Amino acid sequence: MKKIITDFKLAASIAFVHMSAKLKQTIIATIGVALGITIFVFMIGFIQGSQNYMQAIMFEQSPHLRLFNEVKLSDKTIIDNIYPNQINTVGHQKPKDIFMNLKDGKQAVKEIRKNPLVKTVSGSVSTKVFYRLGAVSINGTILGINFEEANALFNLENKIVSGSFTELATMPNSIVVGSGLARKLNVKTGDKIELTTEKGANFSISIIGVFKTGLVDIDNQQSYGSIKTVQRFLNVPSSYLTDIQVKLFDPELAPDEAKRLQKNYNYSGSDWKKDNTTLLEGAALQNMITYSVEVVLLLIAGFGIFNILTMMIYEKMKDIAILKAIGFSNGDVRRIFMTQAFVIGIIGATAGLLFGYLISYAISKMPYHSDVMFSLDHLPVSFNPLYYIMGFSFGILTTAIAGYLPSRKAAKVDPITILRG
Amino acid sequence: MNILEAKNLNKYFYDPKKFKALDNLDLTIEKGDFVSITGKSGSGKSTLLYLLSTMDTDFEGSININGSEMQGRNNSWLADFRNKHIGFVFQFHFLLPEFSVLKNVMLPGLKRAAFPPQELEQKAMDLLKLLDVQDQALKRASLLSGGQQQRVAIARALINDPLILMGDEPTGNLDSKNTGLVFDLFKKLSAEQHQTMLIVTHDEEFAKNTDKTIHISDGRIS
Repeated sequence: MKKIITDFKLAASIAFVHMSAKLKQTIIATIGVALGITIFVFMIGFIQGSQNYMQAIMFEQSPHLRLFNEVKLSDKTIIDNIYPNQINTVGHQKPKDIFMNLKDGKQAVKEIRKNPLVKTVSGSVSTKVFYRLGAVSINGTILGINFEEANALFNLENKIVSGSFTELATMPNSIVVGSGLARKLNVKTGDKIELTTEKGANFSISIIGVFKTGLVDIDNQQSYGSIKTVQRFLNVPSSYLTDIQVKLFDPELAPDEAKRLQKNYNYSGSDWKKDNTTLLEGAALQNMITYSVEVVLLLIAGFGIFNILTMMIYEKMKDIAILKAIGFSNGDVRRIFMTQAFVIGIIGATAGLLFGYLISYAISKMPYHSDVMFSLDHLPVSFNPLYYIMGFSFGILTTAIAGYLPSRKAAKVDPITILRG
Repeated sequence: MNILEAKNLNKYFYDPKKFKALDNLDLTIEKGDFVSITGKSGSGKSTLLYLLSTMDTDFEGSININGSEMQGRNNSWLADFRNKHIGFVFQFHFLLPEFSVLKNVMLPGLKRAAFPPQELEQKAMDLLKLLDVQDQALKRASLLSGGQQQRVAIARALINDPLILMGDEPTGNLDSKNTGLVFDLFKKLSAEQHQTMLIVTHDEEFAKNTDKTIHISDGRIS
């Protein structure tokens, strides 16, 4: 055991002499590894950071599963029912004029709430409206909610910019509008605007708050009212619900549960995976690109190490032969060159992590404004330690592989052919 | 007492075509002998020395040094054996150029790790003093003259008190003054320390002054 340690120490001391004799090339190889790891840490942190940010906003605003009613063409006409054995053609078939409500929605909400898989459920009424102030007319949606239920689902309280949701239930004809919408209408909390429904009914309403979710699509056109208010706008009874939104304890169960509920109640439905396909697939693609870029970078860094060691070994053939002649085994020689590879790898990877962190930190503090899809005021960067551990392991792995081949070559050097000259 | 016994040594080279370099060669060396091996170039004298030094393992027959058989041993065993029991001096001095003279001398001892480094350093200094290069101890090896380097190489070969000191034309690359110096040194080691030595040379003058001369031609002792 003691012998092994002294062997390692001796190999290391020889390795260090070799490296300081070739300091410039050693530093360049180290920088190569450091650069690879820096870019990896920064890139993955940046991409993961923005993905996490987008997903957090997106998923907070999207229930795990939702049930709604869809306008459908009936697949069977009345003629088909009467003459089932012949081909019937009906031209210009029109959708039935139906209410957009969920049949027995209130009862369904009650039943779903009892389901042990369900964390929270909220029934709501949504409808398309025109917001009007003076000459400005903007179309959008209004969502009638029960604040307590909806807050449990979407954490609405934290999205408020001014005013509050608390008076929604008590104050008649009151709404909370999205920040983009408020800006377009040039209104603030306390102002009054006009609202026109699809059927043409007009209401004067007061704005009691402004919210901002960060999702530009929602902030620019949506507002919240109480269920009762929206039902009155639509002139429908209090049992009228158009959407049921559910959060489960385990989001992974959402697709199956959505299917079951759809079948049970004969509603249309969707789940968060279906709703966010583009986002999820985009994330997978981005990850793939990050890892491919990383593989290329590390391959280049690996070539740098391979190069310097191979060069070193050609130059040191004579030294290797001498070492073998004075009693160094093949393993000892391999150890000398592997030590060089690992020193380059460890220093390079550590420096890479450090620089990667510094760049990531600098980027995360840089102001950056965007209102495309998501509202940003600075770039989101992830500092997950996992990526740093991954970067370091990648670096060491590359050096180990790049160092192994030349080291094995060095170990195989035949001392006699060289010593005979 | 025989310190080295070689029996039925056969050695072939295969490149460019099969060629028998050593032909059924037998050899014994007694402890304390100062032996020279002579022969024309291509006679197989260096080949023999590299077999006896345990660096070349591709041979037929038996080599027994100090009671241990060398045939069929693996690389790390042989490296260890070489480290402990065989000192080697080459024709071209062959020091590690980036290391100091002292470190060069200490290296086989550090590898052996039988003594702590301080003790080893003292021993290396003593050897350098014996060879009259002690004032160069802290210089880088590449800065020394050829004669000085060869003396340092001899010090390195002696650091682990080897059973046998082997030399492959150790004076072949030196001027006459340095040749004389090195030869006197070998003589001194033989006389004062009874160091067993096996030196390949084509210098007749050198060979004449050794205890015993083995002449090789066409892979046989003649």
